[in-house]
Amino acid sequence: MIAADKLSLALQGRTILDGVSFRVGRGEAVALVGPNGSGKTSVLRCLLGLVPFEGRASIGGHDAARAPIAAREFVGYLPQRPAFGDVTAFEALRFVARVRRLPECFVWRELERVGLERHAQARARTFSGGMLQRLSLAAALLADPPVLLLDEPTASLDRAGQREFLELAARLREDGRTLLLASHRAEEIERLADRVIELSEGQVMFPVGLRAAS
Amino acid sequence: MRRRELVLVAAREVREAVRSRWFALSAASFLLLSLGLSLLGLSGAERSGLAGFDRTTAGLLNLALLFVPLLGLSLGALGIAGEMEDGSLASLLALPLTRMEVYVGKYLGLLVALAAAIATGFGASGILVATSAGGGDAAAFLSLAELAVLLAAVSLAVGALLSVALGSRARAAGAAFGAWIALVYLSDLGSIGLVVARNLGPDRVLLLSLFNPVEQARVLGTLALTRRPELLGIVGLYGQDQFGYAGLVALLLGALALWAVVALLAGARVFRKAVVS
Repeated sequence: MIAADKLSLALQGRTILDGVSFRVGRGEAVALVGPNGSGKTSVLRCLLGLVPFEGRASIGGHDAARAPIAAREFVGYLPQRPAFGDVTAFEALRFVARVRRLPECFVWRELERVGLERHAQARARTFSGGMLQRLSLAAALLADPPVLLLDEPTASLDRAGQREFLELAARLREDGRTLLLASHRAEEIERLADRVIELSEGQVMFPVGLRAAS
Repeated sequence: MRRRELVLVAAREVREAVRSRWFALSAASFLLLSLGLSLLGLSGAERSGLAGFDRTTAGLLNLALLFVPLLGLSLGALGIAGEMEDGSLASLLALPLTRMEVYVGKYLGLLVALAAAIATGFGASGILVATSAGGGDAAAFLSLAELAVLLAAVSLAVGALLSVALGSRARAAGAAFGAWIALVYLSDLGSIGLVVARNLGPDRVLLLSLFNPVEQARVLGTLALTRRPELLGIVGLYGQDQFGYAGLVALLLGALALWAVVALLAGARVFRKAVVS
């Protein structure tokens, strides 16, 4: 479902990724782990076409660089720092729904799923970190995409928020979605990932079959 | 580029612009200054006996030449760089939208918001003067409003180019302010200096004016009000002699439109390769 082949990325003369290759199968949940600056987030950015990279990245068989729209039709993305500008929660999701050609009732369905239906008309700017994360998850899930890219999804959440998010993400995993998760939190990885790919200084150290090993 | 997606991004941008405090403050200032100038023009007209409509139009031309580039440059500069910094651009580009749809859609949305602010300022002044002093050259007044929108399109495109090229809100805002000072004030001084130092002829001076969109708008505005190129001095006479009145207007309008297109394409080219974090 997700393929990265010799991904290389250099920004301002610094090597961020150096020949990263891996595969994620349909319905698999894989965690990219490694210390800060190891390139976890950059891999997700390459897959989304947010940075100019060398090598080949594809999602659902669509090349992320040559057919970015087709590739992104398959993806829901949860960024590390969710931001929506000066719009209400409802407006933020309605925009995503329109871009993805979905009816407005999907917006309410997702707001309910993440428990934000009572805050639909509140400005996203006024939300706490946890609420923003839930709104971002609602935006990612709106089109029911088969692939979810999650970038440090619980980094800005308190303990209760983390627990709540992990339960929701575990349900999504059980539903058969393909998850690629950038994380360095042991609890998150253990709960969600089938397999771990360890990155260090922009290179894959060794892929570990977490579930298979345990 | 798909039209539907372009319209969606533009509509989102209009909503965001209208809610921004900077835009609201600037639009309100433009409206108040337009009305203030109109009232001043009317009181002067009573004393001098000159037509109120024409005096107001002349006043509005100077206001637009100062205000519109400032508003366009700053809105354009803050737009993309702001979203790059707060992370919302990454979420937008993670959707099935091309970079060109996002860039051009955001530009069009800001242009619609800016055009609405200009129309409100000009419209309110026009109504005030028309009801107080009677009609004047309404066609010239409308031409001036259209010219202000064209100048907004240019300054917005230059601001957006600075935004994507510099990637930070603070740097882009600083560069936009610098560009405004250069276009509105320093360019005139530079041109005068060059004319004196190099003893430039009218052909060169006309050529120089093509490098500054604010200068082109100033000349076009003066022509719209008076239809007399000789009022622009020897350069105006030279332009009319070489190209005819219609040709001179077409040359300046073409140069202004070219500024907008080139700046927009240059910004889109930079944005296509930009790193979005």
